[in-house]
Amino acid sequence: MPAQAETDTFALDVDRVVKNFRRGRGLRRKITKAVDGASLQLRSGELFGLLGPNGAGKTTLVRCIATLLIPDQGTIRVFGHDAFKDSLFCRQRIGLLTSGERTLYWKLSARDNLRFFAALYGLTGKARDKRIDYLIELLGLKEVERERLERYSSGMKQKVSLARAILHDPDLILLDEPSLGLDPQFARFIRGFIKEELNRRLGKTILLTTHYMDEADELCGRIAFINRGRIIDVKPPEQYKRDIPHTEVLHVRVQGQPDTSAIQALAGVERVAFEFEEGVTALKIVAPRAEAVLADIIEHLRSQSKILGIDVKQPTLEDVFLYVTGTSLGEDTSEHKPEAE
Amino acid sequence: MSATVAPARSGMTSASYAHVVWAEFTKTVNIWLSYPIMIAFWAVFPLLWVMPYVFQGKALVGSMSSPSFQQLTGSGNYMAFVLIGAMISTFIFSGLWGVGNSLREETYWGTMEYIIASPTPPLVILIGKTLAEWAWSSLMVAFQAAIIGIFFGVQFTVAKVLPVMLLLGLLMVGFYGFAIAFAGLTLLIKEVQGYVHTLEWVFFLFSPIRYPVQVNPITQLVSTLIPLTWALVAIRSIMLVNQKPVNLWRTVIVLCAMDIVLLVGGYFLFVWLERKTRRDGTVGMH
Repeated sequence: MPAQAETDTFALDVDRVVKNFRRGRGLRRKITKAVDGASLQLRSGELFGLLGPNGAGKTTLVRCIATLLIPDQGTIRVFGHDAFKDSLFCRQRIGLLTSGERTLYWKLSARDNLRFFAALYGLTGKARDKRIDYLIELLGLKEVERERLERYSSGMKQKVSLARAILHDPDLILLDEPSLGLDPQFARFIRGFIKEELNRRLGKTILLTTHYMDEADELCGRIAFINRGRIIDVKPPEQYKRDIPHTEVLHVRVQGQPDTSAIQALAGVERVAFEFEEGVTALKIVAPRAEAVLADIIEHLRSQSKILGIDVKQPTLEDVFLYVTGTSLGEDTSEHKPEAE
Repeated sequence: MSATVAPARSGMTSASYAHVVWAEFTKTVNIWLSYPIMIAFWAVFPLLWVMPYVFQGKALVGSMSSPSFQQLTGSGNYMAFVLIGAMISTFIFSGLWGVGNSLREETYWGTMEYIIASPTPPLVILIGKTLAEWAWSSLMVAFQAAIIGIFFGVQFTVAKVLPVMLLLGLLMVGFYGFAIAFAGLTLLIKEVQGYVHTLEWVFFLFSPIRYPVQVNPITQLVSTLIPLTWALVAIRSIMLVNQKPVNLWRTVIVLCAMDIVLLVGGYFLFVWLERKTRRDGTVGMH
């Protein structure tokens, strides 16, 4: 753990946070560990990624940092202030953007939405109007600023959400899956805005959660892998790729759903992940020497189904995630979380 | 790229909270106004509202007054009695419903998490919603009062209206204590209709909205615990001729005491429920 003086310089210091969810009553009561002892430290001005599959605990951790959830254990400090003992200070300095387009008033215009949320942060009068004018201009919303949001596309709504997140000029910005569900053009705009405007030009500290490997790779200086509520590792993306002890990943597409446990059992195979969609299974096989196990894999798969294609690729961040956690980023791990003791 | 326009960070002050109340008020009204059919309905509601009572009264007693009713209340003007009860109950139930359901609406809209994550306490938002509901309810009651005055012989003079407004104000304060507690409850249980309707019917049964509670000793006893009873009895004694007189100051003191209990209770219940919701992780769920 860092020393106290060092801790105080962190923009965000998450220390051994645990969050359990209790569902049901009596004998049917089930306790799920959504976040299991997570620790993170973000330096001021850092663009930090939290990468994990659906249900890994990313959103729960972000909600704890945003003070929407009270953790069961652990502490969260924002610029040296305890997020729950000094919540007013922290909320003034945090900007939040969550995924999903239903986070704004659809019956109001972009300007009216921003005016309302500005008031919640103590922004009033000319200072508020100038700030809203600036953000509307910056995000290209000028033409539609007085139209009701119900007429906006998903991407336009996300721009308004982004404007709301930075309306009060926060120092720490929490972006939870900011490009989820957006078409490529808007996703590209949002990514560019995060990297160039918020991080490089304005020097904001950003915690970005995503399950898009490309997004994390492109934007973040450091990335934490989170899986089943636990932070697995924290490194820059290049270092993750360097540290993986092999250079190739086999991508195999087969018809139907073959028995992958037999492939996993093959000598020389380290990890196997698969996704099944529209009758086709896409397998990713991590092995120290791909060509050494290729013949065995082909023989095994041929006996069960038709092979549609085989490709040998350089490892991506997604492959590193698979290697480190044994879980594919495309999986939904929410059903596999450990129960709390 | 344009030069950065960043606001000065000043923190939340009493003036900023007043701005939040006004922002919430205008937001609520703007959202109402975006539903033109609802506006049309509420414009004719005060006229339609009175009809069932007129027909019901005529069917039961054959005219607008009743001797047996006069024995219980001192006034045979059944219609004026019931319409005043209906008017006051509409006033407070719309507030109870509107404020109690308001945070539930925010969770539906997906905006609740952003309110909770801001430095403004949700109670300040509720004050804005309360003002909007209060303004709307007052407008409706003014229409209803005009109808009662024109068609049922109830006179509205300054000497009558001022004490009635005092009583209504005290009544509203207590009911908003209830409403705040309900708003907190909706954060946790994500359902409000059943509770508000149950409460409405408890009030309809145990307070003199539609009938004098003296008809049954149990309702008469229980009714003394409900602020609406005290307010209605006093308002009718002011507005209607030949009503049994009441001690206005005694009513004011009782209502003040009830207001303190309901407001303080509502506030602490809300704060506790909001914190529990943050612990349970159900802020944004609906």
